[in-house]
Amino acid sequence: MTREKLQSLSLVLIGVIAFGLPLLVRSPTYLHILVLLFLYAYLTTSWNLVGGFAGVLPLGHSTFVGIGAYTSTVLALQYGVSPWIGMIIGGGLAVIVGVLIGLPTFKMRGAYFALATIAFAEGIRVMVENIEYLGPFKLNGPRGLQIPPLNTGLANFMFAEKEPYYYIILVMLIAVLALTYFISRSKLGYYLSAGGEEPEAAMALGVNVARCKLIAMAMSSFLTALAGTFWAQFTLFIHPKSVMSLDISFEIAFIALIGGRGSIAGPVLGAIILRPVSDLCRIYFGDKLPGLHLIIFGVLLIVVMIFQPRGLQEPLTKLYNRFLDRFAAQPDRIR
Amino acid sequence: MLYVLEDTINGILIGSIYGLTALGLTVIFGVLKVINFAHGSLLMVGMYTAYWAVVLTGIHPYLALIIVAPVMYFFGYYLQNIIIKPIFKAEKDVREPITVIIVTTGVWYVLDNLSLLIFGPQYRTLQDNPLRGKMLEFAGMMLSIPKFWGFVIAIVTAAAVYWFFQKTRMGRAIRATSLDRESASLMGINQYRIYNVAFGIGTAIAGIAGVTLVPFYNVFPSVGVLFDIKGFIIVVLGGLGSIGGAILGGIIVGVIESVGPQFMAATWTEAIVYGLFLMVLFVKPSGLFGVKYDW
Amino acid sequence: MTILDLKRLVKDFGGLRAVDGLNLSVQEGKILGLIGPNGAGKSTVFNCIAGVYPPTEGEIYFDGTKINNVKPWNLCKQGLARTFQIVKPFSSKTVLYNVMVGSYVTTDKRSVAEDRALAVLETLSLLDKKDIKAGNLTIADRKRLEIARALATEPKLLLLDEVMAGLRPTEVDEMVKIIMGLRDSGMTIFIIEHIMRAIMALSDWIVVIHFGRKISEGTPKDVASDEKVIKAYLGEEYGVS
Repeated sequence: MTREKLQSLSLVLIGVIAFGLPLLVRSPTYLHILVLLFLYAYLTTSWNLVGGFAGVLPLGHSTFVGIGAYTSTVLALQYGVSPWIGMIIGGGLAVIVGVLIGLPTFKMRGAYFALATIAFAEGIRVMVENIEYLGPFKLNGPRGLQIPPLNTGLANFMFAEKEPYYYIILVMLIAVLALTYFISRSKLGYYLSAGGEEPEAAMALGVNVARCKLIAMAMSSFLTALAGTFWAQFTLFIHPKSVMSLDISFEIAFIALIGGRGSIAGPVLGAIILRPVSDLCRIYFGDKLPGLHLIIFGVLLIVVMIFQPRGLQEPLTKLYNRFLDRFAAQPDRIR
Repeated sequence: MLYVLEDTINGILIGSIYGLTALGLTVIFGVLKVINFAHGSLLMVGMYTAYWAVVLTGIHPYLALIIVAPVMYFFGYYLQNIIIKPIFKAEKDVREPITVIIVTTGVWYVLDNLSLLIFGPQYRTLQDNPLRGKMLEFAGMMLSIPKFWGFVIAIVTAAAVYWFFQKTRMGRAIRATSLDRESASLMGINQYRIYNVAFGIGTAIAGIAGVTLVPFYNVFPSVGVLFDIKGFIIVVLGGLGSIGGAILGGIIVGVIESVGPQFMAATWTEAIVYGLFLMVLFVKPSGLFGVKYDW
Repeated sequence: MTILDLKRLVKDFGGLRAVDGLNLSVQEGKILGLIGPNGAGKSTVFNCIAGVYPPTEGEIYFDGTKINNVKPWNLCKQGLARTFQIVKPFSSKTVLYNVMVGSYVTTDKRSVAEDRALAVLETLSLLDKKDIKAGNLTIADRKRLEIARALATEPKLLLLDEVMAGLRPTEVDEMVKIIMGLRDSGMTIFIIEHIMRAIMALSDWIVVIHFGRKISEGTPKDVASDEKVIKAYLGEEYGVS
């Protein structure tokens, strides 16, 4: 077997396991954990387009989750629009907001950019908390919006069981990973990395750095907003402190850094490591040791950053390559 | 009209304390060029230290300073030395220490939740302290005495920090490092020791802020979060790295918060503060007072 | 034919005049050397041409059009490439990746960009190092990579900013050979260099500036014997005595 074949085989195997998992995991609690795991892997992969490849540190992506969640929910509750359509509209809105945030902020240097994105996200959250009605749209201020679980079914993006949600977010994750893979090998991917690493050199080589970052921001906002709609349909209850909380933005950044910023596997790895920690701690130690998962997050982040500043994907990729070399090389030699 | 004046004065008093909470942030940024997201947590640690110092020894709340400031200095010194320094070294080729920013967030999570584990979620207040709820009547206005003393401590601390950076040998070495790390290290200044000291000083200032807050503010594990983002806003308003700017930025935020509710719903004042912050970031990122580093 | 033309170029930084009324032109297919003592304003001239700073006064024409306020990336697309005095490789990426960033400028196709990058690496004898991370290269190879990236954009004019600084004598000789080869293939080059023997060997025409003003120009031989040039380099006293 050649190296390439073995590589695609192992990817297919991972895919088969991912699709087959709900057959083994029957407990709704654990399925719920897995859905959240994929959701965060998806969110972090979307974030990675800006935070990883473009080399800046956006800390306000919760805004786009919120925009996606609120747009589809308001349209569904007040106008009976299918959340699938609301999802796309929310994505479009997020692109507009993302570009409006990106235009002035991408000129700023590292720390200022991070602070500006936080300020945008928090400013928007505070406003939503204060708004009962935005024009004709009922946002319901801090109390948020509840989606009555009446009409289940694919068209309404609402299901009684966890499995459909599992498959939807899994497909979304695979799609966004494939997109990231193609971008990373495309001209845009090269330009983003170049502009993130050495902007002056990139400009001299014909890269319009600011424009590339804006394109990445637009894509990232769009994709993040789609996850917002998923979130709303999965939990059926959204309020500013849940879907627009700064904690989401920080958790995304944590997952990205622990997994490996700017790599394709990093966000998924990070989510696999961090999400179960958070959910299992809440289930088993939630009442006795509140906040234990956050201590583990923090310690893990510090330790990983000290010993593996490029994230855990680096040693794991090396290990994976060694595995490929070992098992792919032998048949070649026989031949 | 008198109400507006009274609110303004109260805003200046509490604002200067906000400024004091942000002062350490600006010192650390000025030298390390890192936004310390754990600063609110350091303030929280300072408040707990002050609280326990007073409760256990029974000293006057402001006398706790002699315990809190040195304890916090060493806490910050070793926090930087043990946790942040290795990441700096790993990332030293990179122009913007982005990883360090996120790691300070990790420190924040760890500190806040450790204190939740250790002290529990309950709010603690200093019982029978001589300052709580004491008011000063001045020209028909009621002013809080602990806030007034907080104002005095804030001004004195800012002046002392300014003096330290201008006049002492260590202060000058720190300034030299903040301007140009490489040249400073060529001059025989140990860059990382300077970082330790700067972080220690920033943390000690957070401790001083904690001491001024404890007489009139509740102590609880997530108290720092309330001051965290406010702190960022204040330092950017005043100009990151500027000592006077931190106090003035704090006063601006304090006045908006205390006068604003006369004219609108209290929660909207928060949105106004964010708006002002963004405006400054876009129009004049060096801060309202135009000084990039006034030290 | 003139490919680059500077007309009374002036650049002020605050009160300091770094470039003061400089006229010069680069002929197609030739190598123009720009020399001058430290702080003479050489790099500032390059940065004005390359679109990093807009000139305070005067005009810059490239390939017949005025480029005073054209952005660096658009200049690159028009055929003007440059290297940096302090090399700026994309350190975490491979040599091939670095060069492909350059070769993507005229194409959106990965295969086209990759083929051209490989061809450029071949001419600069960097091909065997194509999979090494740029951050792990030696200084000489980094300088070479800097040229390779610029060449990959298929420029009409190449600005080389001290590509030999910090190299050992044998490495300088190799670099001279590379640049000669580029000229022989028809490339127009505008070069700043401190190493006299290199620039004397390379240049068809040399311009000498001092405090932002042109003090001499001519063939390498003429310039080397010009008294004003010797004074500028060795100091006023030396010239007088």
